Amino acid sequence: MIPKKGMIKSTDAFERLVHWWLAITCIILILTGLGMMFHSFNFLGTPLGGLKNLKLVHNFTGLLFAPALFFAILIWWREAGVFKMPEDLEWIKVAGGYLWHVDDVPETGKYNPGQKAFFLAVAIFGILMVASGLIMWFPLSLPSGLVQWMYPLHALGMLVIFPFVLVHIYLGTIGVPGSARAIFTGYVTRSWAEKQCPGWLKEMEEEGRLEIYGEEKEEAAHG
Amino acid sequence: MAEKIKLYDTSKCTGCRACQLACKQWNALPAGQTYNAGTYQNPPDLQSNTWMLIRFQEMSNGNGDVKWLFRKDACMHCTDAACIKVCPSGALFRTKYGSVALDRDKCIGCKECISACPFDVPRYDPVTDKIAKCDLCFSRIDRGMEPACVKACPTGALSFGDKDEMIARAHARVKELGGDANVYGDQFVGGTHMLYVLTEKPDVYDELPERPRVPLTVIAWKDWFKPLTLLAAGGVLAGSFIHYLTHGPKDTSGDDQAGGEGGE
Ligand code: HEM
Ligand code: SF4
Ligand code: SF4
Repeated sequence: MIPKKGMIKSTDAFERLVHWWLAITCIILILTGLGMMFHSFNFLGTPLGGLKNLKLVHNFTGLLFAPALFFAILIWWREAGVFKMPEDLEWIKVAGGYLWHVDDVPETGKYNPGQKAFFLAVAIFGILMVASGLIMWFPLSLPSGLVQWMYPLHALGMLVIFPFVLVHIYLGTIGVPGSARAIFTGYVTRSWAEKQCPGWLKEMEEEGRLEIYGEEKEEAAHG
Repeated sequence: MAEKIKLYDTSKCTGCRACQLACKQWNALPAGQTYNAGTYQNPPDLQSNTWMLIRFQEMSNGNGDVKWLFRKDACMHCTDAACIKVCPSGALFRTKYGSVALDRDKCIGCKECISACPFDVPRYDPVTDKIAKCDLCFSRIDRGMEPACVKACPTGALSFGDKDEMIARAHARVKELGGDANVYGDQFVGGTHMLYVLTEKPDVYDELPERPRVPLTVIAWKDWFKPLTLLAAGGVLAGSFIHYLTHGPKDTSGDDQAGGEGGE
Protein backbone atom coordinates (compact mmCIF):
# COMPACT_ATOMS: atom_id res chain seq x y z
CA MET A 1 0.00 0.00 0.00
CA ILE A 2 2.96 2.29 -0.46
CA PRO A 3 1.78 5.52 -2.13
CA LYS A 4 2.72 6.00 -5.76
CA LYS A 5 4.02 9.09 -7.42
CA GLY A 6 1.22 11.51 -8.21
CA MET A 7 -1.08 10.44 -5.41
CA ILE A 8 -2.83 13.07 -3.37
CA LYS A 9 -2.49 13.57 0.34
CA SER A 10 -5.87 13.48 2.01
CA THR A 11 -5.16 12.88 5.71
CA ASP A 12 -2.26 13.79 7.99
CA ALA A 13 -0.63 11.53 10.53
CA PHE A 14 -2.58 12.90 13.48
CA GLU A 15 -5.90 12.36 11.72
CA ARG A 16 -4.97 8.77 10.97
CA LEU A 17 -3.82 8.17 14.52
CA VAL A 18 -7.03 9.55 15.98
CA HIS A 19 -9.09 7.59 13.45
CA TRP A 20 -7.60 4.27 14.48
CA TRP A 21 -7.58 5.08 18.15
CA LEU A 22 -11.28 5.87 17.91
CA ALA A 23 -12.03 2.92 15.62
CA ILE A 24 -10.25 0.30 17.70
CA THR A 25 -11.72 1.45 21.01
CA CYS A 26 -15.15 1.71 19.40
CA ILE A 27 -14.99 -1.83 18.01
CA ILE A 28 -13.84 -3.21 21.36
CA LEU A 29 -16.73 -1.36 23.01
CA ILE A 30 -19.21 -2.77 20.50
CA LEU A 31 -17.97 -6.34 20.89
CA THR A 32 -17.80 -6.24 24.68
CA GLY A 33 -21.15 -4.42 24.72
CA LEU A 34 -22.68 -7.19 22.63
CA GLY A 35 -21.32 -9.67 25.16
CA MET A 36 -23.38 -7.99 27.86
CA MET A 37 -26.43 -7.13 25.81
CA PHE A 38 -27.25 -10.64 24.58
CA HIS A 39 -26.92 -13.79 26.64
CA SER A 40 -26.11 -15.58 23.40
CA PHE A 41 -22.98 -13.40 23.15
CA ASN A 42 -21.90 -13.99 26.76
CA PHE A 43 -19.28 -16.35 25.36
CA LEU A 44 -17.30 -13.30 24.18
CA GLY A 45 -16.24 -13.02 27.81
CA THR A 46 -14.69 -16.49 27.88
CA PRO A 47 -11.34 -15.56 26.27
CA LEU A 48 -11.05 -12.74 28.78
CA GLY A 49 -11.64 -15.07 31.70
CA GLY A 50 -15.31 -14.41 32.24
CA LEU A 51 -18.03 -11.84 31.88
CA LYS A 52 -16.76 -9.79 34.78
CA ASN A 53 -13.49 -9.15 32.99
CA LEU A 54 -15.38 -8.38 29.82
CA LYS A 55 -17.29 -5.73 31.74
CA LEU A 56 -14.02 -4.28 33.08
CA VAL A 57 -12.48 -4.25 29.60
CA HIS A 58 -15.58 -2.44 28.35
CA ASN A 59 -15.48 0.13 31.12
CA PHE A 60 -11.78 0.92 30.83
CA THR A 61 -11.87 0.95 27.04
CA GLY A 62 -14.63 3.53 27.50
CA LEU A 63 -12.09 5.72 29.28
CA LEU A 64 -9.75 5.46 26.26
CA PHE A 65 -12.62 6.09 23.85
CA ALA A 66 -13.45 9.46 25.41
CA PRO A 67 -10.22 11.34 24.52
CA ALA A 68 -10.21 9.82 21.00
CA LEU A 69 -13.73 11.13 20.53
CA PHE A 70 -12.65 14.53 21.80
CA PHE A 71 -9.85 14.80 19.23
CA ALA A 72 -12.04 13.40 16.46
CA ILE A 73 -14.62 16.10 17.03
CA LEU A 74 -11.89 18.73 17.18
CA ILE A 75 -10.36 17.56 13.90
CA TRP A 76 -13.41 16.86 11.80
CA TRP A 77 -16.32 18.99 12.91
CA ARG A 78 -15.60 21.72 10.36
CA GLU A 79 -15.37 19.40 7.39
CA ALA A 80 -17.83 16.73 8.48
CA GLY A 81 -20.01 18.36 11.09
CA VAL A 82 -21.90 21.00 9.10
CA PHE A 83 -24.26 20.42 6.23
CA LYS A 84 -23.86 22.79 3.29
CA MET A 85 -27.15 23.76 1.74
CA PRO A 86 -28.43 23.38 -0.90
CA GLU A 87 -25.71 21.10 -2.36
CA ASP A 88 -25.99 18.55 0.42
CA LEU A 89 -29.76 18.41 0.09
CA GLU A 90 -29.45 17.74 -3.64
CA TRP A 91 -26.97 14.98 -2.87
CA ILE A 92 -29.31 13.43 -0.32
CA LYS A 93 -32.19 13.47 -2.85
CA VAL A 94 -30.23 11.17 -5.15
CA ALA A 95 -28.62 9.28 -2.24
CA GLY A 96 -25.26 10.30 -3.66
CA GLY A 97 -25.72 7.84 -6.51
CA TYR A 98 -25.07 4.97 -4.12
CA LEU A 99 -28.44 3.28 -4.45
CA TRP A 100 -29.50 3.74 -8.05
CA HIS A 101 -27.87 5.08 -11.18
CA VAL A 102 -27.52 8.85 -11.23
CA ASP A 103 -25.94 10.68 -14.14
CA ASP A 104 -24.90 13.81 -12.31
CA VAL A 105 -24.20 13.47 -8.62
CA PRO A 106 -23.93 16.88 -6.97
CA GLU A 107 -20.36 17.73 -6.06
CA THR A 108 -19.31 17.34 -2.45
CA GLY A 109 -16.46 18.74 -0.46
CA LYS A 110 -14.14 16.63 1.65
CA TYR A 111 -17.04 14.67 3.13
CA ASN A 112 -20.40 13.87 1.63
CA PRO A 113 -23.69 14.14 3.58
CA GLY A 114 -23.63 10.42 4.34
CA GLN A 115 -20.24 10.74 5.94
CA LYS A 116 -21.40 13.87 7.74
CA ALA A 117 -24.35 11.95 9.14
CA PHE A 118 -21.97 9.25 10.36
CA PHE A 119 -19.67 11.81 11.95
CA LEU A 120 -22.57 13.56 13.68
CA ALA A 121 -24.03 10.26 14.92
CA VAL A 122 -20.72 9.18 16.40
CA ALA A 123 -20.05 12.62 17.86
CA ILE A 124 -23.45 13.11 19.47
CA PHE A 125 -24.12 9.55 20.55
CA GLY A 126 -20.47 9.08 21.48
CA ILE A 127 -20.76 11.89 24.01
CA LEU A 128 -23.98 10.35 25.29
CA MET A 129 -22.27 6.95 25.54
CA VAL A 130 -19.46 8.39 27.64
CA ALA A 131 -21.85 10.27 29.93
CA SER A 132 -24.31 7.40 30.36
CA GLY A 133 -21.54 4.82 30.60
CA LEU A 134 -19.78 6.63 33.42
CA ILE A 135 -23.04 6.91 35.36
CA MET A 136 -23.84 3.23 34.75
CA TRP A 137 -20.41 2.32 36.06
CA PHE A 138 -21.21 3.89 39.43
CA PRO A 139 -24.98 3.63 39.60
CA LEU A 140 -25.35 3.78 43.37
CA SER A 141 -23.81 7.22 43.66
CA LEU A 142 -26.70 8.97 41.89
CA PRO A 143 -30.49 8.98 42.29
CA SER A 144 -31.93 5.85 40.70
CA GLY A 145 -34.54 7.88 38.82
CA LEU A 146 -31.69 9.39 36.81
CA VAL A 147 -29.58 6.23 36.57
CA GLN A 148 -32.52 4.26 35.14
CA TRP A 149 -32.58 6.44 32.03
CA MET A 150 -28.90 5.87 31.28
CA TYR A 151 -29.46 2.23 30.30
CA PRO A 152 -31.96 2.81 27.47
CA LEU A 153 -29.88 5.79 26.36
CA HIS A 154 -26.79 3.60 26.19
CA ALA A 155 -28.75 0.96 24.27
CA LEU A 156 -30.07 3.62 21.88
CA GLY A 157 -26.50 4.75 21.26
CA MET A 158 -25.58 1.17 20.43
CA LEU A 159 -28.56 0.94 18.08
CA VAL A 160 -27.33 4.01 16.19
CA ILE A 161 -23.56 3.53 16.29
CA PHE A 162 -23.23 -0.20 15.58
CA PRO A 163 -25.10 -0.35 12.22
CA PHE A 164 -23.52 2.94 11.14
CA VAL A 165 -20.07 1.51 11.84
CA LEU A 166 -20.88 -1.53 9.69
CA VAL A 167 -21.92 0.69 6.77
CA HIS A 168 -18.79 2.78 7.30
CA ILE A 169 -16.58 -0.31 7.15
CA TYR A 170 -18.32 -1.59 4.00
CA LEU A 171 -18.01 1.72 2.16
CA GLY A 172 -14.49 2.32 3.42
CA THR A 173 -13.27 -0.99 2.05
CA ILE A 174 -14.88 -2.99 -0.76
CA GLY A 175 -17.81 -0.61 -1.33
CA VAL A 176 -15.62 2.24 -2.54
CA PRO A 177 -12.27 0.78 -3.60
CA GLY A 178 -9.27 2.96 -2.94
CA SER A 179 -10.72 4.57 0.19
CA ALA A 180 -8.94 2.52 2.82
CA ARG A 181 -5.52 3.74 1.75
CA ALA A 182 -6.54 7.27 2.70
CA ILE A 183 -6.63 6.27 6.32
CA PHE A 184 -3.63 3.91 6.22
CA THR A 185 -1.09 5.82 4.12
CA GLY A 186 -2.78 9.21 3.92
CA TYR A 187 -2.65 9.22 0.10
CA VAL A 188 -5.41 8.61 -2.48
CA THR A 189 -5.38 8.50 -6.25
CA ARG A 190 -6.37 11.58 -8.17
CA SER A 191 -9.27 9.78 -9.79
CA TRP A 192 -10.52 8.67 -6.38
CA ALA A 193 -10.40 12.26 -5.14
CA GLU A 194 -12.16 13.51 -8.28
CA LYS A 195 -15.02 11.11 -7.62
CA GLN A 196 -15.16 11.24 -3.83
CA CYS A 197 -14.35 14.82 -2.95
CA PRO A 198 -14.28 16.95 -6.12
CA GLY A 199 -15.16 20.17 -4.32
CA TRP A 200 -12.32 19.73 -1.90
CA LEU A 201 -9.87 18.84 -4.67
CA LYS A 202 -10.70 21.98 -6.64
CA GLU A 203 -10.45 24.17 -3.58
CA MET A 204 -7.08 22.73 -2.61
CA GLU A 205 -5.74 23.15 -6.11
CA GLU A 206 -6.96 26.70 -6.37
CA GLU A 207 -5.38 27.55 -3.06
CA GLY A 208 -2.22 25.71 -4.01
CA ARG A 209 -2.34 23.60 -0.89
CA LEU A 210 -2.54 20.22 -2.55
CA GLU A 211 0.24 17.85 -1.56
CA ILE A 212 1.23 15.35 -4.18
CA TYR A 213 3.38 12.32 -3.44
CA GLY A 214 6.80 12.54 -5.00
CA GLU A 215 6.55 16.26 -5.74
CA GLU A 216 7.77 19.18 -3.75
CA LYS A 217 4.95 21.07 -2.10
CA GLU A 218 5.81 24.24 -4.00
CA GLU A 219 5.56 22.49 -7.34
CA ALA A 220 1.94 21.73 -6.75
CA ALA A 221 1.16 25.37 -6.17
CA HIS A 222 -0.42 27.12 -9.08
CA GLY A 223 -0.86 30.52 -7.64
CA MET B 1 -43.95 -28.55 38.37
CA ALA B 2 -46.58 -26.27 39.76
CA GLU B 3 -45.72 -22.69 40.57
CA LYS B 4 -45.50 -21.91 44.26
CA ILE B 5 -46.53 -18.87 46.23
CA LYS B 6 -45.57 -17.62 49.66
CA LEU B 7 -48.51 -15.91 51.29
CA TYR B 8 -48.03 -13.31 54.00
CA ASP B 9 -51.09 -12.26 55.98
CA THR B 10 -50.44 -8.96 57.79
CA SER B 11 -53.50 -9.46 59.98
CA LYS B 12 -51.87 -12.46 61.62
CA CYS B 13 -48.34 -11.03 61.91
CA THR B 14 -47.24 -10.04 65.41
CA GLY B 15 -43.87 -8.65 64.36
CA CYS B 16 -41.97 -11.32 66.29
CA ARG B 17 -39.36 -11.54 63.53
CA ALA B 18 -38.88 -15.27 63.82
CA CYS B 19 -38.91 -15.29 60.00
CA GLN B 20 -36.23 -12.62 59.80
CA LEU B 21 -33.99 -14.66 62.06
CA ALA B 22 -34.73 -17.94 60.32
CA CYS B 23 -33.74 -16.31 57.03
CA LYS B 24 -30.40 -15.25 58.46
CA GLN B 25 -29.85 -18.66 59.94
CA TRP B 26 -30.67 -20.74 56.88
CA ASN B 27 -28.72 -18.50 54.54
CA ALA B 28 -25.81 -18.11 56.99
CA LEU B 29 -26.03 -14.34 57.01
CA PRO B 30 -24.18 -12.73 59.90
CA ALA B 31 -25.74 -9.84 61.77
CA GLY B 32 -24.23 -6.43 61.33
CA GLN B 33 -23.82 -3.60 63.81
CA THR B 34 -27.05 -1.62 63.92
CA TYR B 35 -28.29 1.47 65.70
CA ASN B 36 -31.50 2.69 67.31
CA ALA B 37 -33.37 4.73 64.75
CA GLY B 38 -36.32 5.32 67.03
CA THR B 39 -38.24 2.29 65.86
CA TYR B 40 -38.36 -1.42 66.54
CA GLN B 41 -37.55 -1.97 62.90
CA ASN B 42 -34.07 -3.36 62.81
CA PRO B 43 -31.96 -3.17 60.74
CA PRO B 44 -33.35 0.00 59.17
CA ASP B 45 -33.49 -1.43 55.65
CA LEU B 46 -32.71 -4.47 53.54
CA GLN B 47 -28.98 -5.14 53.33
CA SER B 48 -26.70 -7.45 51.43
CA ASN B 49 -26.82 -9.70 54.51
CA THR B 50 -30.47 -9.03 55.40
CA TRP B 51 -32.62 -10.41 52.63
CA MET B 52 -35.90 -9.86 54.42
CA LEU B 53 -37.05 -7.75 57.27
CA ILE B 54 -40.23 -6.87 59.08
CA ARG B 55 -41.03 -3.20 58.63
CA PHE B 56 -42.55 -1.60 61.75
CA GLN B 57 -44.78 1.36 61.08
CA GLU B 58 -46.89 3.38 63.50
CA MET B 59 -50.21 4.52 62.10
CA SER B 60 -52.50 7.01 63.78
CA ASN B 61 -56.17 6.41 63.17
CA GLY B 62 -57.04 10.06 63.82
CA ASN B 63 -58.54 9.81 67.32
CA GLY B 64 -55.35 9.47 69.29
CA ASP B 65 -54.99 5.72 68.87
CA VAL B 66 -51.90 4.33 67.32
CA LYS B 67 -51.84 1.11 65.38
CA TRP B 68 -48.78 -0.91 64.54
CA LEU B 69 -48.45 -2.05 60.96
CA PHE B 70 -46.07 -4.86 60.11
CA ARG B 71 -44.89 -5.70 56.65
CA LYS B 72 -42.49 -8.41 55.62
CA ASP B 73 -40.25 -6.80 53.02
CA ALA B 74 -38.29 -9.03 50.64
CA CYS B 75 -38.13 -10.03 47.00
CA MET B 76 -41.64 -10.37 45.57
CA HIS B 77 -40.60 -12.96 42.95
CA CYS B 78 -42.31 -11.17 40.08
CA THR B 79 -43.50 -13.08 37.03
CA ASP B 80 -42.46 -10.15 34.84
CA ALA B 81 -39.23 -9.73 36.77
CA ALA B 82 -37.41 -6.58 35.70
CA CYS B 83 -34.27 -7.89 37.37
CA ILE B 84 -34.12 -10.99 35.16
CA LYS B 85 -34.81 -8.87 32.11
CA VAL B 86 -31.80 -6.64 32.67
CA CYS B 87 -29.30 -9.11 34.16
CA PRO B 88 -26.54 -9.39 31.52
CA SER B 89 -24.97 -12.55 32.90
CA GLY B 90 -28.02 -14.72 33.46
CA ALA B 91 -27.16 -14.79 37.18
CA LEU B 92 -30.77 -13.99 38.02
CA PHE B 93 -33.06 -16.70 36.74
CA ARG B 94 -36.57 -18.02 37.02
CA THR B 95 -36.93 -21.35 38.75
CA LYS B 96 -39.50 -23.97 37.85
CA TYR B 97 -41.45 -22.83 40.91
CA GLY B 98 -41.90 -19.36 39.43
CA SER B 99 -39.54 -17.82 41.98
CA VAL B 100 -36.52 -15.69 41.05
CA ALA B 101 -33.23 -17.16 42.21
CA LEU B 102 -29.63 -16.00 41.91
CA ASP B 103 -26.59 -17.90 40.71
CA ARG B 104 -23.98 -15.99 42.66
CA ASP B 105 -21.05 -17.38 40.68
CA LYS B 106 -22.41 -15.78 37.53
CA CYS B 107 -23.12 -12.34 39.02
CA ILE B 108 -20.67 -9.70 37.74
CA GLY B 109 -21.72 -7.00 40.19
CA CYS B 110 -22.93 -4.62 37.50
CA LYS B 111 -25.86 -3.48 39.69
CA GLU B 112 -28.23 -3.24 36.74
CA CYS B 113 -30.85 -5.23 38.67
CA ILE B 114 -30.76 -2.67 41.49
CA SER B 115 -31.95 0.18 39.27
CA ALA B 116 -34.51 -2.04 37.56
CA CYS B 117 -36.36 -3.60 40.51
CA PRO B 118 -39.67 -1.81 41.18
CA PHE B 119 -39.56 -2.98 44.81
CA ASP B 120 -36.00 -1.81 45.53
CA VAL B 121 -34.90 -5.28 46.63
CA PRO B 122 -31.42 -6.30 45.38
CA ARG B 123 -28.56 -5.11 47.53
CA TYR B 124 -24.91 -4.79 46.52
CA ASP B 125 -22.14 -6.30 48.62
CA PRO B 126 -18.89 -4.45 47.93
CA VAL B 127 -16.82 -7.18 49.60
CA THR B 128 -17.86 -9.93 47.18
CA ASP B 129 -18.73 -7.48 44.34
CA LYS B 130 -22.03 -9.29 43.91
CA ILE B 131 -25.64 -8.62 44.70
CA ALA B 132 -27.78 -10.49 47.20
CA LYS B 133 -31.50 -11.03 47.65
CA CYS B 134 -34.10 -13.53 48.82
CA ASP B 135 -34.28 -16.57 46.53
CA LEU B 136 -37.39 -18.02 48.16
CA CYS B 137 -35.10 -20.61 49.76
CA PHE B 138 -34.48 -22.33 46.46
CA SER B 139 -32.23 -24.86 48.20
CA ARG B 140 -35.18 -25.82 50.43
CA ILE B 141 -38.16 -25.71 48.12
CA ASP B 142 -36.27 -27.73 45.53
CA ARG B 143 -36.11 -30.51 48.13
CA GLY B 144 -39.79 -30.31 48.94
CA MET B 145 -39.43 -28.15 52.06
CA GLU B 146 -41.09 -24.84 52.73
CA PRO B 147 -38.99 -21.65 52.94
CA ALA B 148 -37.21 -21.14 56.26
CA CYS B 149 -39.29 -18.07 57.13
CA VAL B 150 -42.55 -19.96 56.63
CA LYS B 151 -41.29 -22.83 58.76
CA ALA B 152 -40.41 -20.44 61.58
CA CYS B 153 -43.64 -18.42 61.64
CA PRO B 154 -45.52 -19.24 64.86
CA THR B 155 -48.80 -17.47 64.09
CA GLY B 156 -49.73 -18.79 60.67
CA ALA B 157 -49.15 -15.41 59.04
CA LEU B 158 -46.90 -17.16 56.52
CA SER B 159 -47.89 -20.08 54.38
CA PHE B 160 -46.49 -21.69 51.27
CA GLY B 161 -48.15 -23.77 48.60
CA ASP B 162 -49.38 -24.12 45.06
CA LYS B 163 -50.08 -20.88 43.23
CA ASP B 164 -53.82 -21.20 42.59
CA GLU B 165 -54.51 -22.48 46.04
CA MET B 166 -52.63 -19.61 47.68
CA ILE B 167 -54.33 -16.96 45.54
CA ALA B 168 -57.74 -18.43 46.46
CA ARG B 169 -56.77 -18.53 50.11
CA ALA B 170 -55.65 -14.88 50.02
CA HIS B 171 -58.92 -13.72 48.49
CA ALA B 172 -60.97 -15.78 50.94
CA ARG B 173 -59.07 -14.20 53.83
CA VAL B 174 -59.66 -10.69 52.48
CA LYS B 175 -63.38 -11.39 52.28
CA GLU B 176 -63.30 -12.58 55.85
CA LEU B 177 -61.44 -9.47 57.03
CA GLY B 178 -63.59 -6.99 55.09
CA GLY B 179 -62.96 -3.24 55.34
CA ASP B 180 -59.85 -2.00 53.56
CA ALA B 181 -58.27 -5.45 53.45
CA ASN B 182 -56.92 -6.39 50.03
CA VAL B 183 -54.77 -8.85 48.17
CA TYR B 184 -51.50 -7.33 47.00
CA GLY B 185 -49.40 -9.00 44.32
CA ASP B 186 -51.60 -10.90 41.90
CA GLN B 187 -52.63 -7.84 39.85
CA PHE B 188 -49.29 -6.49 38.62
CA VAL B 189 -45.89 -7.47 37.17
CA GLY B 190 -47.56 -10.59 35.87
CA GLY B 191 -48.36 -11.69 39.41
CA THR B 192 -45.85 -12.04 42.23
CA HIS B 193 -44.86 -15.25 43.97
CA MET B 194 -44.96 -13.53 47.31
CA LEU B 195 -48.51 -12.47 48.01
CA TYR B 196 -49.69 -10.10 50.70
CA VAL B 197 -52.98 -9.91 52.52
CA LEU B 198 -52.91 -6.27 53.63
CA THR B 199 -55.29 -4.93 56.27
CA GLU B 200 -54.86 -1.37 54.99
CA LYS B 201 -54.79 0.09 51.48
CA PRO B 202 -51.37 -0.30 49.82
CA ASP B 203 -50.60 3.43 49.87
CA VAL B 204 -50.73 3.38 53.68
CA TYR B 205 -47.60 1.23 53.90
CA ASP B 206 -44.16 2.79 53.87
CA GLU B 207 -41.92 1.91 50.93
CA LEU B 208 -44.65 -0.08 49.21
CA PRO B 209 -45.32 0.91 45.59
CA GLU B 210 -49.02 1.30 44.89
CA ARG B 211 -48.85 0.25 41.26
CA PRO B 212 -45.50 -1.44 40.72
CA ARG B 213 -44.50 -2.16 37.15
CA VAL B 214 -41.50 -3.01 35.05
CA PRO B 215 -40.00 0.48 34.54
CA LEU B 216 -40.54 2.07 31.13
CA THR B 217 -36.78 2.52 30.94
CA VAL B 218 -36.31 -1.26 31.12
CA ILE B 219 -38.97 -1.83 28.45
CA ALA B 220 -37.40 0.73 26.10
CA TRP B 221 -33.98 -0.77 26.71
CA LYS B 222 -34.68 -4.49 26.55
CA ASP B 223 -37.90 -4.77 24.51
CA TRP B 224 -37.27 -2.05 21.94
CA PHE B 225 -33.64 -1.02 21.50
CA LYS B 226 -32.10 -4.42 22.13
CA PRO B 227 -34.00 -6.34 19.42
CA LEU B 228 -33.79 -3.32 17.11
CA THR B 229 -30.00 -3.34 17.43
CA LEU B 230 -29.89 -6.91 16.17
CA LEU B 231 -32.38 -6.15 13.43
CA ALA B 232 -30.55 -3.02 12.28
CA ALA B 233 -27.11 -4.60 12.36
CA GLY B 234 -28.35 -7.67 10.50
CA GLY B 235 -30.26 -5.55 8.01
CA VAL B 236 -27.24 -3.40 7.29
CA LEU B 237 -24.98 -6.42 6.79
CA ALA B 238 -27.46 -8.05 4.43
CA GLY B 239 -28.07 -4.71 2.72
CA SER B 240 -24.35 -4.14 2.13
CA PHE B 241 -23.98 -7.61 0.67
CA ILE B 242 -26.95 -7.17 -1.64
CA HIS B 243 -25.69 -3.71 -2.58
CA TYR B 244 -22.32 -5.15 -3.52
CA LEU B 245 -23.94 -7.83 -5.66
CA THR B 246 -26.52 -5.70 -7.43
CA HIS B 247 -25.21 -2.15 -7.53
CA GLY B 248 -21.58 -3.11 -7.26
CA PRO B 249 -18.65 -1.18 -5.82
CA LYS B 250 -18.19 2.40 -6.86
CA ASP B 251 -15.83 2.89 -9.77
CA THR B 252 -13.14 5.20 -8.47
CA SER B 253 -10.53 4.34 -11.05
CA GLY B 254 -9.50 6.70 -13.75
CA ASP B 255 -6.97 6.96 -16.53
CA ASP B 256 -4.58 9.14 -14.58
CA GLN B 257 -1.03 7.92 -14.10
CA ALA B 258 -1.51 7.40 -10.37
CA GLY B 259 -4.15 4.79 -11.11
CA GLY B 260 -3.37 1.33 -9.92
CA GLU B 261 -6.77 0.64 -8.41
CA GLY B 262 -7.86 -2.72 -7.25
CA GLY B 263 -8.15 -4.19 -3.84
CA GLU B 264 -5.48 -3.81 -1.28
C1 HEM C 1 -19.00 3.36 21.17
C2 HEM C 1 -19.24 3.43 22.43
C3 HEM C 1 -19.96 2.38 23.24
C4 HEM C 1 -20.74 1.33 22.84
C5 HEM C 1 -21.12 0.94 21.44
C6 HEM C 1 -21.21 0.67 24.04
C7 HEM C 1 -22.05 -0.42 24.06
C8 HEM C 1 -22.56 -1.00 25.21
C9 HEM C 1 -23.51 -2.06 25.23
C10 HEM C 1 -24.14 -2.70 24.01
C11 HEM C 1 -23.75 -2.38 26.53
C12 HEM C 1 -24.66 -3.47 27.03
C13 HEM C 1 -25.98 -2.88 27.41
C14 HEM C 1 -26.98 -3.94 27.68
O1 HEM C 1 -26.76 -4.75 28.59
O2 HEM C 1 -28.01 -3.96 26.99
C15 HEM C 1 -22.96 -1.51 27.34
C16 HEM C 1 -22.93 -1.51 28.72
C17 HEM C 1 -22.18 -0.64 29.48
N1 HEM C 1 -21.30 0.32 29.02
FE1 HEM C 1 -21.00 0.79 27.10
N2 HEM C 1 -20.69 1.31 25.14
C18 HEM C 1 -19.93 2.36 24.69
C19 HEM C 1 -19.23 3.26 25.44
C20 HEM C 1 -19.13 3.22 26.82
C21 HEM C 1 -18.38 4.14 27.60
C22 HEM C 1 -17.59 5.32 27.03
C23 HEM C 1 -18.54 3.78 28.90
C24 HEM C 1 -17.93 4.48 30.11
C25 HEM C 1 -16.85 4.20 30.64
C26 HEM C 1 -19.39 2.61 28.95
C27 HEM C 1 -19.81 1.95 30.08
C28 HEM C 1 -20.75 0.94 30.11
C29 HEM C 1 -21.28 0.37 31.31
C30 HEM C 1 -20.93 0.79 32.73
C31 HEM C 1 -22.19 -0.62 30.91
C32 HEM C 1 -23.09 -1.48 31.80
C33 HEM C 1 -22.48 -2.77 32.08
C34 HEM C 1 -21.48 -2.57 33.15
O3 HEM C 1 -21.84 -2.37 34.31
O4 HEM C 1 -20.30 -2.62 32.82
N3 HEM C 1 -19.74 2.29 27.67
N4 HEM C 1 -22.23 -0.68 26.52
S1 SF4 D 1 -39.02 -7.92 43.50
FE1 SF4 D 1 -37.27 -7.06 42.39
S2 SF4 D 1 -35.64 -8.55 42.77
FE2 SF4 D 1 -37.58 -9.61 43.28
S3 SF4 D 1 -38.21 -10.62 41.34
FE3 SF4 D 1 -39.23 -8.61 41.36
S4 SF4 D 1 -37.79 -7.30 40.21
FE4 SF4 D 1 -36.64 -9.12 40.81
S1 SF4 E 1 -25.54 -7.29 39.66
FE1 SF4 E 1 -25.43 -9.50 39.26
S2 SF4 E 1 -27.51 -10.24 39.43
FE2 SF4 E 1 -27.66 -8.00 39.26
S3 SF4 E 1 -27.94 -7.61 37.04
FE3 SF4 E 1 -25.72 -7.54 37.43
S4 SF4 E 1 -24.99 -9.63 37.05
FE4 SF4 E 1 -27.22 -9.76 37.27
